[in-house]
Amino acid sequence: MGTLTLDGLCRRYATTTAVERVDLEVAEGEFVALLGPSGCGKTTTLRMVAGFVAPSSGRILIAGRDVTHAPPHGRDTGMVFQSYALFPHMTVGENVAFGLEMRKVARAERDARVREVLRLARLDGLGDRLPRQLSGGQQQRVALARALVVNPAVFLLDEPLSNLDAKLRAEVRIEIRALQQRLGLTTLFVTHDQEEALTMADRLVVMERGRVRQIGTAEALYERPADAFVAGFIGRCNLLRGTPEAPGQFRTASGALLPCLPQPARPGDILALRPERIALRAAGDGLPARLAAVTYLGAQTEYHLDLAGTRLVAVAPTPAEGDARRGLAPGDAVLAHWDPAEARLLPAEPGDLLDDQA
Amino acid sequence: MAALLLPATLLVLGLLVAPMAMLFRISLNQYDAALMMREALSAENYLRALADPYYREVLGTTLGVAFSCTLLALLIGFPAAYWLARMESRWKSLATILTLFPLLVGNVVRAAGWMALLGRDGAINAGLFGLGLVAEPWPMLYTTGAVIVGILAVVAPYMILTLAAVIESIPRGVEEAAANLGAGPMTAFRRVVLPLALPGVAAGCVLVFILCMNAYATPVLLGGPQFKMMAPAVYDQFVRGTNWPFGAALAFLLLIVTLVLTIIGSTILAGRSRSR
Repeated sequence: MGTLTLDGLCRRYATTTAVERVDLEVAEGEFVALLGPSGCGKTTTLRMVAGFVAPSSGRILIAGRDVTHAPPHGRDTGMVFQSYALFPHMTVGENVAFGLEMRKVARAERDARVREVLRLARLDGLGDRLPRQLSGGQQQRVALARALVVNPAVFLLDEPLSNLDAKLRAEVRIEIRALQQRLGLTTLFVTHDQEEALTMADRLVVMERGRVRQIGTAEALYERPADAFVAGFIGRCNLLRGTPEAPGQFRTASGALLPCLPQPARPGDILALRPERIALRAAGDGLPARLAAVTYLGAQTEYHLDLAGTRLVAVAPTPAEGDARRGLAPGDAVLAHWDPAEARLLPAEPGDLLDDQA
Repeated sequence: MAALLLPATLLVLGLLVAPMAMLFRISLNQYDAALMMREALSAENYLRALADPYYREVLGTTLGVAFSCTLLALLIGFPAAYWLARMESRWKSLATILTLFPLLVGNVVRAAGWMALLGRDGAINAGLFGLGLVAEPWPMLYTTGAVIVGILAVVAPYMILTLAAVIESIPRGVEEAAANLGAGPMTAFRRVVLPLALPGVAAGCVLVFILCMNAYATPVLLGGPQFKMMAPAVYDQFVRGTNWPFGAALAFLLLIVTLVLTIIGSTILAGRSRSR
C-alpha cells in the first residue's frame, strides 16, 4: 500500500481540455471518490493514474515514486473496470492468478493466495468456472479479487457498481468499503452517483468540466459547499439568483427579501438553502408563503413554496396522522422559517445552476 | 423462416452440387482417344494420379505454396489487422477500403503488373542494374518466390479483414486489464489477445489456404511454363489433353486434400481456443 499524489495533472486534446490542473493527495489507506457529472474528467484522471492515458503535463506519484511516464504494467495499481474486463477464455482461478503469474510468484504461494482471495470475495468453489458462467455480481467480485490479490500500491475503481441492480449495488457498496478498510487499501474511486460517493469515501473530489471544484469529507461538502455547483450536486439545494442588500438580506430576482448569513458578498453570488433546513409553521416567525404543490414521498414530504413569486422547495419528515400539517394542501398559506446561518451566499459560474429556480 | 433459405439452397444444388456430382461421375470413366471417354466405374484415374511422380510433385508444390502463403499472410496480416481493428479515427473506413483495394484489380491484370515489376527487363532489375548492384538481371519472375508473393498479395486482404473482425470484438478493456496486472505488451498479446483471436486465425487461415490451393492465374503467369500447381494441371487435362476423366480425378484429389487439411487445421485451432 502507498500514497497517491497528483500534482498539477492536465490532459488536453486538440480542441478540449479533459482534465485541468488536478492536485490531490491520497493518504495511505484512504478512500477517495472522484465525483462529477459525465464528461467532468474523473475517468480520464483515473486512467492517467493507471497509465492508459498520458498526461499532457503534471506528475503522478505512487508510494513516492514518479510514475508519470511509466507504462501501465509498471505502476503497481489494481484496477476494477466498469465492464469488469475479465479474461473470457480463462477460469475464475486463472483470472485471479494472472497478476501473481506476472509477478513471478511461485506456484504454491500463488495457489494459496488465489484461494484466500476467492474466499474473501465469497467465490469459494467457483475457481474452475468461466466468467460467462457467473452472475453479474459474481463477475464483479472476480474483478475485485483479481485486482486485490496482487496487493497493489493503489486500488482503482472505475464505476464498478454501475452494472449491478440497485439492491446488489447497496450490498456491494458496503462489502467494498469493509474490504478496503480491513486491507488498508489506498483507493481512488470514480463514480457519478453521489450517494455511492457519500456512503463509501473518506473524502470526495467534486469535478466539473475538467476542474476540481472542491475536495472534502461528505459533511464538509454538504454543510460548507465552496460554490453553487457543489451545493447543487451534493444533495438537493435551493439556489436563487439575486442581489445581496443589507448584510443578512438577499433580494431574489423575483423580488422577495430573504434572510441569510451576513457575509461579504460578491456580485453574481447565489443564495443556497437546503430544503430540509426550511421549517413550515402556522404562526410565529417566518416569511409568508403559499403552497404551490405538496408531494408525499413516504418518509418525507416535499413542499413547493411560492414566496411572492420566488419558488423554494422544503422537505420535512412526513407528519404523523392527525398532525395538522398532514392536511396541508396546495393553495394553503404557511410561514417559512429558517436560521439565517443556513442560507449562504456562494459564488457561481455560468452553467452552475442545474435547475434554475430563480 | 426455412423458406428464406430456399433461393440459396436451389442455387447451391443447381450450380454447385449438380456439376460436382457430374464431375465425380466423369472421374470414374475411362479415357478413350477416339470417343474422349467411355462409361466405366473405376478408380483407375485416381490411382494413376497418386502413382505418377509428376502429379505427386505438382500436389507437393501446391501444398508448399499454400502453406507458405497462409503462414506469411497470417504473420503479415495479424499486425495489420490489429492496427485496423484498434483504429479509432475517421480514417478507419478509408483504411478498410484501402485494404480491399488490391481485390479491385483482377488476378490476370495484377499478375501482369508483377511481371512488369519482376521480369528480366522489369522495373526492379532495371533499378538494380542502374545502381550497379547486379551485372546480370536477377531472376525473379518464373520462380516459386514470385508465385508466393503474387498469391500473397491476393489473399492478404482476406486474412486481414477476417482477423480484424474478430480482433474488433475483443474488448480493449481485457488488454488494459492484462497491462494493469503487470503484463507487458508481448505477454498481453500471447496470453490474452492471441487466444481470443484464435477463431479468427482459424477462419482466416482456412479461407486463405483454400484460395491458395486453388490459385490459377498467378501460378500460370508468374510461375512460368515449368512451374505447376494443381489448378493449372486440372485445366491442362481438360483443355489441352482433353482427358476429362483424369482431369476430373485430379480436381477431386485437390478438393479432398484441401478439405481434409482444412478440417484438421480448424479442429486443432478450435480445440486450442477451447482449452485455453
